[in-house]
Amino acid sequence: DGQYPPGKPNITKCRSPDKETFSCWWQPGSDGGLPTNYSLLYTTERKTTVSECPDYKTSGPNSCFFDKSHTSIWTSYIITVNATNAMGSNISDTEIFDVFHIVELHPPTNVSLAIIDDPPHLLVKWSPPPSVDVKSGWVTIEYEVQLKLEKGQKWETLKAGTHTQLKVFGFHPGENYVVQVRCKPDHGFWSLWSSESYIQIPDRFWRKDM
Amino acid sequence: PICPNGAVNCQISTSDLFERAVQLSHYIHSLSSQIFNEFDEQYAQGRGFIMKSINTCHTSSLNTPEDKEQAQQIHHDDLLNLVLRVLRSWNDPLGHLVSEVQDIKEAPGTILWKAVEIEEQTKQLLEGMENIVQRIHPGELGNEVYSLWSGPPAVPMADENTRLFAFYNLLHCLRRDSHKIDNYLKVLKCSLMQGISC
Repeated sequence: DGQYPPGKPNITKCRSPDKETFSCWWQPGSDGGLPTNYSLLYTTERKTTVSECPDYKTSGPNSCFFDKSHTSIWTSYIITVNATNAMGSNISDTEIFDVFHIVELHPPTNVSLAIIDDPPHLLVKWSPPPSVDVKSGWVTIEYEVQLKLEKGQKWETLKAGTHTQLKVFGFHPGENYVVQVRCKPDHGFWSLWSSESYIQIPDRFWRKDM
Repeated sequence: PICPNGAVNCQISTSDLFERAVQLSHYIHSLSSQIFNEFDEQYAQGRGFIMKSINTCHTSSLNTPEDKEQAQQIHHDDLLNLVLRVLRSWNDPLGHLVSEVQDIKEAPGTILWKAVEIEEQTKQLLEGMENIVQRIHPGELGNEVYSLWSGPPAVPMADENTRLFAFYNLLHCLRRDSHKIDNYLKVLKCSLMQGISC
């Protein structure tokens, strides 16, 4: 009658955007032609019991969000996802990780571009991603800026260290440029690039001055 | 040596000392991550070591902060002393790591070099941290002898899997503890050192 147990779900990613909370996402398997329920079960090396996901909503469909009270940074989490329907159930492979090892920040925000006349250069400024505690030293963020001629293909990447601005010299006067910024924690994954920002370099900046 | 160009009693500011300690802790964790990944790729694939290495770190009995709130609630003196205790507790295991890595079959030179470098830099960091604590609290430098580590597994040399797991577990715990130390020092730097922009 075309009804059978669910396919094996697959945990696709676990990430922390701030080193204080984290989320996991999974890809459901086939539903076997029946209504299928998914549950994320976890334990840690400090727990003796298995618990269910504390929050299935905050991080969207097929996800589990662990808030601060459910997050320890240097503790192994052991996570599986279970799919169940009327015909049976199926369980994902086990994911084991420490939260310090899965930190991936959101992109930097408030990227602004300004032409500075003396000496002639482009000043790129940005803010850290929201809700990341840099002030107390909990998270140390490194940044990269990439830019290219709007009509060009080749990006040039510049390291900005932990600063939230960068002076860029050596532009072609009169040309349009595209600029993006990304960031990563001192030990972790690079974020996505920020959305593109555009600027035209004024004609008054003769090449020899730049 | 902490002093530049080998000078003996140079007077480096405490915030400069802290800055150096943080650079060192950052470097040590980067190396610890690299050596773990390299060992994992070369020797641990398919052996299920990750499941066995849960809750096996010799330093897990040290009551260290596990999240930001705990790290910020603990008094900075206590956090400094915890950093010293974790560093000291790695003295013996790192010595073992360096001596043993040379006996691993076809151990790439890069793993050996990193093990030696981590041992050396960890000694430097411990020396620097003791210097800092001395400055902040003269005379309060405890020197309890630490050997939380129970030593290498008593196992016949033939059992390679057990020896490799012992290694894997050491590197797994080193990666974790070196990150902890690095994170604590970055928090301490921001809270203790005036004039440092965090």
